[in-house]
Amino acid sequence: MEKPERTVLYDRHKELGARMVEFGGWEMPIEYPSGVVNEHLNVRSGAGIFDVSHMGRFVIRGGGALRFVQHVLSNNAEAIDLAPTAAQYTLISSETGGAIDDAFLYRFVEGEYLLVVNAANRKKDWDHLQLHAGSFGGVELADLTYDMAMFALQGPGSRRIIETVAEDPASLPEPYRNAVGISSIADARVMIARTGYTGEPLGFELFVSRKDAPGLWDLFLEKGAVPAGLAARDTLRLESFLPLYGHEFGMDPEGREIPCFAFPIAKWAVSLSPLKGDFVGRAALEKQFAAYSKIIARDYSSISDLPRMFKCVAVTGRGIARAGAEVFKDGKPVGYISSGTMVPYREFEDKGLVSRQRGDHKLRAICTAFLDSDVIEEDKLVVDVRGKPVEAVVVEYHLRSDAPPYAHPIVYGHEIPELPFFCPRRFCKGAGKQADPGPAAEGRVGGRAGHIDRGGAPPAALLRKAVENTRWRQYECINLIPSEMTPSPMVRLLSIMDPAFRYAEHKGAKAFYDSEIFYYQGTDFIAEVEWLLEEEFRKYLGCVEAETRVISGQMANMTVFSAMVDYINRADRRSEPRRIRSVMNNHIGRGGHLSAQPMGALRDFVARDPHTERPAVANFPVMSENPYKIDVSAAFELIDSCRPELIIFGKSMVLHREPIAEIRKYLDEAGIEAVLMYDAAHVLGLIGPYFQRPFAEGVDLVTGSTHKTFFGTQRGIIASRYEQSEKRYELWEAVRRRAFPGAVSNHHLGTLVGLLMAAYEMNFFKDEYQRKVIANAKAFARALKDFGFDVAGDPGIGFTETHQVVLNVGYARGPEVAQRLEANNIICNYQATPADEGFTAASGIRMGVAEMTRFGMEEKDFHSLASLMKEIVIDGANPLDKVKSLREPFRELHFCFTDNEYADLMESLRKLV
Amino acid sequence: MKEISELVTPSDVRYTRDHEWAKVEGDIIRIGVTDYAQDQLGDVVFVEVPKVGKKYGKGEECGSLESVKAVGEVYIPVGGEITRVNTSLEDSPDLVNSAPYTDGWMAELKPSDPSEIEGLMTCEEYIEMLKGLKE
Repeated sequence: MEKPERTVLYDRHKELGARMVEFGGWEMPIEYPSGVVNEHLNVRSGAGIFDVSHMGRFVIRGGGALRFVQHVLSNNAEAIDLAPTAAQYTLISSETGGAIDDAFLYRFVEGEYLLVVNAANRKKDWDHLQLHAGSFGGVELADLTYDMAMFALQGPGSRRIIETVAEDPASLPEPYRNAVGISSIADARVMIARTGYTGEPLGFELFVSRKDAPGLWDLFLEKGAVPAGLAARDTLRLESFLPLYGHEFGMDPEGREIPCFAFPIAKWAVSLSPLKGDFVGRAALEKQFAAYSKIIARDYSSISDLPRMFKCVAVTGRGIARAGAEVFKDGKPVGYISSGTMVPYREFEDKGLVSRQRGDHKLRAICTAFLDSDVIEEDKLVVDVRGKPVEAVVVEYHLRSDAPPYAHPIVYGHEIPELPFFCPRRFCKGAGKQADPGPAAEGRVGGRAGHIDRGGAPPAALLRKAVENTRWRQYECINLIPSEMTPSPMVRLLSIMDPAFRYAEHKGAKAFYDSEIFYYQGTDFIAEVEWLLEEEFRKYLGCVEAETRVISGQMANMTVFSAMVDYINRADRRSEPRRIRSVMNNHIGRGGHLSAQPMGALRDFVARDPHTERPAVANFPVMSENPYKIDVSAAFELIDSCRPELIIFGKSMVLHREPIAEIRKYLDEAGIEAVLMYDAAHVLGLIGPYFQRPFAEGVDLVTGSTHKTFFGTQRGIIASRYEQSEKRYELWEAVRRRAFPGAVSNHHLGTLVGLLMAAYEMNFFKDEYQRKVIANAKAFARALKDFGFDVAGDPGIGFTETHQVVLNVGYARGPEVAQRLEANNIICNYQATPADEGFTAASGIRMGVAEMTRFGMEEKDFHSLASLMKEIVIDGANPLDKVKSLREPFRELHFCFTDNEYADLMESLRKLV
Repeated sequence: MKEISELVTPSDVRYTRDHEWAKVEGDIIRIGVTDYAQDQLGDVVFVEVPKVGKKYGKGEECGSLESVKAVGEVYIPVGGEITRVNTSLEDSPDLVNSAPYTDGWMAELKPSDPSEIEGLMTCEEYIEMLKGLKE
């Protein structure tokens, strides 16, 4: 046998006392003296570093490179050419639909792909690629395995380490899975990707030149990364249900090829897009996919095309099920264990987002098993462990990676203890029984955990708790959630009067010259209210049309998207309607709201981009120094390339004006007929001279919710500038149709009446209110900055141009800080900032001053509030009484009609309730 | 892995070629695996101890130790009936790594033939054997 190869870090491993083994033709560290258990746990709790230089690294470039990789790899490589996250998991598929290897494809620079393959398969892969490269012109293949080294830096602590050592943190990959970047670390050029083989939501793989590798390795160790060997790499990937070639891909123990779709990851690694064209194994993979699609729907009619699939199995008996062990169900053999061992894990407290990892660890025997495709989750199995029957169960997963910064072990049979206010218990897998759902019975009331059903007779208890809760929020708390508002007494009272709870469906009918025809009797009052409300909104927004029946901002957006689809298909009512071809919006990680995202209200209305196989949504580019602000000139370029049919302004984390006028001008000059929409959900109550006037600046449509900065009940609004004479008026007509009968039947008539009063209030008081809100927000931001907080936004304009103020309180600390503020009666919400991986890693605190401004707080009061927040967040104190005292004088709502002349009428209404 | 000089080899126990130890404690014998065995295996994550009341002949397999990567059988150094096992290994198999001769013991037995222990190696003989293995 040939002597195994050594990576450039071989001497480092020996010096560290690693136990070296031969793996894939390389002499590699299997574990260091601290042992695999510590190494595994250290990756899950801190940061582990792996030398993965043994993996094969091929560079593919040249004019034919894309066509070539599309042909020899299973995934859609074009997607990484077009996406900011320029890496993807892929398979080197065989003609018969198996895997010659599994691999990762990176695109760090334009026109060049880096393909990382398994060490043991490198020569085989190379020969296969060479064989196919011959039939493609302009493909240059190079094996850079020996020129480069490769590390994996993985775990919740990895991000801090990499940010410490990178010379320019802005060059690091964006905080999304598979994002890439090229940075300089200790004068070395380092290609960095947010990829890994551990299931860690935070993890990086780094490619460096051979000569730089030892120095960088030392630097990472010095910064706190702990070396981990191949044994831990294997337990980590097993726990996160990632395949290992030779176990889950390649050949089974009997020498039969394993179909790619046997491992569920194939769903993401195989593209059957028509644009990808024919590729090695396509026909076989299509057949497997058809069988896979049926099997997951529990239709086993094509099971012979995919007889076995890989599943997670948890051992419930005593023993360790290892690779090769036979598996039985009801006494019959159903497959075998492909990978399995005992892995360590640290439990998390059952405290939702503020759960901490416990210090001690436990062990659990888990496996991946290759089982008959009709074996399903929760099926009970028996594994033959060296002649001893050991019980096991099919589970959905062993680990979840969707709550950064930690990977969370999911332990079969774990029961969530009954807690007073965190996440009412849901069905808990494997707990043996369905837990009481109980959300109605549990709630957090009066700042304390309280069970309504334990407060005496249920009706009295509910009434009492409602009194307590209202007093708490209305008299004792500083309410800073920017999407909330307290409505005036008039608005509240009107909202519960007749015709609350009734119906008033109506529709414009062409046969009656477009007049609105009502479907019910007794609707004259509400009809008048609705026309008056439309009139108030037209006046307020300066537009031609208003639709007020939608009952939320989210519904308003969905109605517009649905209307867009209706409108663009107006000529063809027979074919399958096409979706909106291309949309531009604000990224959800940079303040965009889910009501304008494919993950939210846009989902069913936006097309898939056939090139990327993702929703055809492009995000506004942002300024590098201020991610809350759109980079206008870069946006022009993007508009040119993606040609949006719909552009959506507006955010839920909004500090600045949107560049409406600039974009409108650009569209007009370039002759691009995009619909320009402004989702004014947050800022609807600020529309005017102190903030911005979307219609005057050039939008076509405004949507919004009526209860954030606006004074209303919780509803939505859609408004339009289209005149009846112009061709786009048909879009407005579609909006009306999609509102009713598309979105609503009953449109909550009570709150419609309340909203009319709120609109009267807004149109009457807006000048002073809007001016004060913005002045208070700026004063609050300035004071917080002076007290030592990291305040987001442009300091040059006082950090904010809206009612919102955003704080950075430290990576992943948002949830905990928001909770401490709540414990001191300051109610706000944590929010992921553009630098965070997701809401569980939120470092932001988002606040709005609108509601407390309405209660009369002035700039000096927000200064006092900032001082109390410093005591709580920075000093760790609990000045609850001081917060209550600050609230004390601000109990009466301003900017509403309180004159005596209304007193008698209000009293009459009260008596009628 | 440890050098021979780093290995703990108490002189009050006797050793087998398979790296078990046996210690006389009155009329019973306590057994376990050696420092060398645990070091070779790495982190012990599962221990199958013998069954109380079961009789084993000398050299019979009576249990196993498992690491993340491997399984190691344990052979009984001295024949006899198991009287007690170390139940704490169920939750803390790592005791075999941290304290192989003390808290990490595996079982106690009543020997069928107490003289069998005399056939096992002394610590000096065991160290000599280990030197042979390391070469």
